[in-house]
Amino acid sequence: MSKKKPEMTISGQIQVDYQWSVGKAGERFFAELRDHKRIMGARCRTCGRVMVPPRIFCEECFVDTIDWVEVEPKGTLVTFGDCYFSTDGKRLDEPWILGIVRLDGSDGGLIHFIKETKAEDLRIGMPMEIVFNDDRKGHILDISHFRPVKESK
Amino acid sequence: MARKVALVGVGMQKFEFCKTETIEEMIFDVARNALEDARLSKEDIDAVVSGSAVDAFCGIVNSDKVATDGTGGFLKPTMRNSTSGSTAVSTPILGYNHIASGLYDIVMVVCYEKMSENPSAQAVFNTVYDEAYVRPIGLNVPIQCGLEARAYLHRYGLTERQMAKVSVKNRGNAISNPYAQLPMKLTVDDVMASPYLSWPVKLLDTSPVTDGARAVILASEDVARELTDSPVWIRGVGRGADSVWFMGRSNSNLGRLDYAYLAARQAYEMAGIKDPGVEIDYAEVYDPFTFKEMQHCEALGLCPEGGAGKMIDEGVSCKDGALPVNASGGLQGEGNPIGAGMSRLTWCYLQIQGKAGDCQVSKDVSTAVCNAWGGMYQYNAVMVIGRD
Repeated sequence: MSKKKPEMTISGQIQVDYQWSVGKAGERFFAELRDHKRIMGARCRTCGRVMVPPRIFCEECFVDTIDWVEVEPKGTLVTFGDCYFSTDGKRLDEPWILGIVRLDGSDGGLIHFIKETKAEDLRIGMPMEIVFNDDRKGHILDISHFRPVKESK
Repeated sequence: MARKVALVGVGMQKFEFCKTETIEEMIFDVARNALEDARLSKEDIDAVVSGSAVDAFCGIVNSDKVATDGTGGFLKPTMRNSTSGSTAVSTPILGYNHIASGLYDIVMVVCYEKMSENPSAQAVFNTVYDEAYVRPIGLNVPIQCGLEARAYLHRYGLTERQMAKVSVKNRGNAISNPYAQLPMKLTVDDVMASPYLSWPVKLLDTSPVTDGARAVILASEDVARELTDSPVWIRGVGRGADSVWFMGRSNSNLGRLDYAYLAARQAYEMAGIKDPGVEIDYAEVYDPFTFKEMQHCEALGLCPEGGAGKMIDEGVSCKDGALPVNASGGLQGEGNPIGAGMSRLTWCYLQIQGKAGDCQVSKDVSTAVCNAWGGMYQYNAVMVIGRD
C-alpha cells in the first residue's frame, strides 16, 4: 500500500478553547456529586422512567415534568471494553477498561473506568459499584471508577 | 404523492490513504465522471446536494463551501448534509427528496471525505464525545466499538471467528475492485492473530483511514426514461435515530440497533418488500467494523435477528452466495472515507446495471439495499433501489 505524501503541503493548526455549560440538569447532578457523593436521576412524571444522566426533559414523552431522585451508587454491568491504546494513540502493555453500568433505582447509567479487577474477571450482568474520589470538584472525575461489588459473607 | 426518482449515473474514483488532490479536485473528478456516466452536462443539473461527515478531518470548517465549484454547483441551489457516518446514505436520500417533492428534475449528489490531512483520525474522533459525562473518561473509537461488539456477541451468542470471516470476505472481494484501497487475501487465522484494539475487535476487523469521493446523479421519471431504457429506481428510503445518551437509554443493551430496524422497516414498506431475505438480490452493508456488517445484515432483514453468524458461516453473503453482501469489498476492503461511504449505493447501482466489472456477482440482481450508520450508536439510513 503506497503511503506517498503530496510533495507540496501547507502546515498549520486550529486551536480553539471552549467552556461548555453543563446545563441545568448537569449543574444539579455535578453539585450533588461534589457535595454529597450522591448520584441523582430525573424521573419522568409521565412514563416513570428515571434518567441517568439526568436531563430536564424526557425524550420519549417529550415533557419537562420531572422529579429529582437519588439513585444507588451501584448497579449492573451492561457492557465493557478493554483497550490496548491510550486515547492519544499510544500502544499499551496493560489494557485499561471502560464500562457502562445500569444504576439501581434508575433506567439509565454511566460510563466510567473499571478498576480493581481484570477484564477476564468481568462479565456482563455482574454487580458493580462506584468508588468516589475524596477530592471532588463537580466533575465526572469526582467518580474515581467502578469496581465489582465484593461479595460479603 | 412522491414522484418516482431514478439513479442515472455514478462517479467513481480510487480510494486511497492519502490523495494529492484537494477536496475540490477530488469532487470535480467524481462529479465529471458521473456526468459522463449519465451522458449529461453541468448545465443539465438543477441542484446539488453534498455530504461529508466530519469537517475536522480535513481541517476546513464548513467544507461545503469548497464543494460548490467541483460539484457543478456554480450559480445553482446547493445544500450540504451531515449525519455522521450515515451521511453516506442520508445524503442521497436528501437528493431523492429534492426530486420526489417535485422541486427539481436532475440533482447531483456528491459525498466526500479527506481524512489524511490530519495525522490522527483518532484524535479527531475523540472530539465527538459528550463534554461533561464522556470525554473526560477518554472514550475512544476502539473502546466504543468494543463496548458495542461485546454486547452484541453476548446477546446473540456470536463469535470472534464469525467476525473474522467478514474481514476475509470483504478484503478478498476488494481484490476485484479497481477503486479499492485495501484488498487483501487473508485467512480467518490471519484476522484472529491481528492485535486487539478492544476485545473482540482486532486490527483486521476495522476499516482504514481513507481519502475519497463518490457522486450519483438522480433524475425524475420523465428525465430518466429519456436518458435510459433501463432506469434504476429508488424504491424505498428510511432513516432512524436513537438518543445520544447511549449509556442512559432505557433500551441500553447496545447489542440491538432499534434505530436501524426502524430505518429498514420504512424503506421496505415504501418499496413493498415483505421478505427482504428473499426479495433482496444484493446488499452493500455498512461495515466499518466486521461486527457492524453482521448487525446491519440482521437489521436489514437479510438474515434473522441473531442469525448473522450462521449467514457468514454458510457463505450466504459471499460473492457467489445466495445473498451476496459487499462484493465490492465494503468499507473494509475498498476503504472508509466516512461520508463517501455512499460508495455502497454506487455499487448497488453497478450490480443492477451489470457494470460491476470483476466485482459483478453471478446471480441476476434486480433489487438491492444499502445502509449507513453514524453518531453515538445512533443513526441509520437505508435505501432500496431496483429495476422496473
